[in-house]
Amino acid sequence: MIVAAAICPSPPLLASGITGQAEILPELRAACAAAVARLLAAAPDVVAVAGPADATAPFDPAGELSLASYAPALRSSGPLPSAPALPLALGIGGLLLDAPGYQGPRAYQGIAEYEPAAACLALGAKIATAAPRVALLAMGDGTARRSASAPGYLDERAAPFDEAVERAVRAADLSALAALDPTLAADLLAVGRPAWQSLAGALATPHPGGAGPLQTEVLYSDAPLGVAYLVATLIP
Amino acid sequence: MDDVAAAVEQRAQLQRAPGLLRLGGHEFAPGRPLVMAIVNRTPDSFYRPGLTWDEDAALDRVHAAVAEGADILDVGGVPAKPGPEVTVAEEIRRVAPFIERVRAAYPDLVISADTWRHESARALCAAGTDLINDTWSAWDPSLAEVAAEFGAGLVCSHVGTLTPRTRPHRPAFADVVADVIDRVLLLAERAVKAGVDPDRIVIDPAHDFGKNTWHSLEITRRLSELTATGWPVLMSVSHKDFVGETLGADLGDRLAGTLAVTAVGAWLGARIFRAHDVRETRQALDMVASIRGDRPPARAVRALA
Repeated sequence: MIVAAAICPSPPLLASGITGQAEILPELRAACAAAVARLLAAAPDVVAVAGPADATAPFDPAGELSLASYAPALRSSGPLPSAPALPLALGIGGLLLDAPGYQGPRAYQGIAEYEPAAACLALGAKIATAAPRVALLAMGDGTARRSASAPGYLDERAAPFDEAVERAVRAADLSALAALDPTLAADLLAVGRPAWQSLAGALATPHPGGAGPLQTEVLYSDAPLGVAYLVATLIP
Repeated sequence: MDDVAAAVEQRAQLQRAPGLLRLGGHEFAPGRPLVMAIVNRTPDSFYRPGLTWDEDAALDRVHAAVAEGADILDVGGVPAKPGPEVTVAEEIRRVAPFIERVRAAYPDLVISADTWRHESARALCAAGTDLINDTWSAWDPSLAEVAAEFGAGLVCSHVGTLTPRTRPHRPAFADVVADVIDRVLLLAERAVKAGVDPDRIVIDPAHDFGKNTWHSLEITRRLSELTATGWPVLMSVSHKDFVGETLGADLGDRLAGTLAVTAVGAWLGARIFRAHDVRETRQALDMVASIRGDRPPARAVRALA
């Protein structure tokens, strides 16, 4: 059962040291840290991290983000990693768990960008039943076409799309998340869509709160660099 | 053991592990190149003569240099080129009160005095000098004793066969880099024996001093042989003639060449860069330090959002 769920984005700039000497978006970092703290406060048996990947597959819990892929000068001089590198979203999720010193069990679930909504919902349900107390960290970014200087340039459909996602999360409207259009999301470079829909599937399964409402809180919602970042918690 | 082997052995003994460089109250680790800003208390130095002859103008120059990122200030009262005699008394009069003013304004700033006479060096150390920049390669061997007496640092340089304030005339070396290394390591060894703190000794190949343009280019090309000795290397190349001759550039047109030499020197591990153009030099050095991986970018966000 899901005891707590959170949504965080996964820009590389959340990795420590990658932005150089400047601290970039401290509010976003603080919001992610607060969201993860709430997951851990629910005393989960396992934290499941779900996020976009090249293919739908679980990843080795010992895996890490390959920071050197993004910043070669930051290549670690330590021993070679014991597991294959994680995809970006899962790797950032892992770093978010590492930051407060979490050493309990974790599971990484990659979800292919093309995965249809039904498959994402089913995957979420599977994650929710993996242990008696599961915390879910859904790594998902919004659109990347929010301004002319955005990575994907301006698309007028981007802001309404992100607003719809935020509204659905605030209202714990799981069916609205389930109904997000994969094609539109892909057009707008909103790579978080499969992760959000997995979260919807996970939270739709029976949880300790029974049929009671989810306590939702949006901790951050902005697109300061043209990419929509949403940080939220959904607690049964 | 034959002479060559003995020389190799001796040179090996004079090497040291690259480590902390101590100047004044500061400790500088390798990987952080330092800018030494030039402030001349002369009416007739070669580049922008008289710019800081007026003491208030000189102090303004100090304020600007510090604001632009200078780590060290190098104050000189006697031009390197031949010209009217500057007596010890006159040199002290030009420089000592000024160093006292700078020291009062910047208690922590590293102050270097560009001098080659021990009488001047003693007065300038008493005024607050942290580093004696002896460009004339221990023409006055007592400089090391003054450095030791005041706990100051010492620059050990190479000028071939020159005496102070003379120009090179047909200098020739079997191997200029070997000549430089032999000389500066010998001076470093002497300085240590005289009681100078080894962590406060800097070596300087002294581009243009006792060298033609080919020699200065060779020193630059093979600077890694100097940095490999482990002693911190000072590069003093700003707007010098070898830059001008190499580029066919007049005095006012040597900044790009100066920065190119600076970048190569930084890449090859030199640690101090004596410069007229502090801001530009700081930027060039920061850029090279980041390419080397010694300094993170100021801000890296592009394509990481």
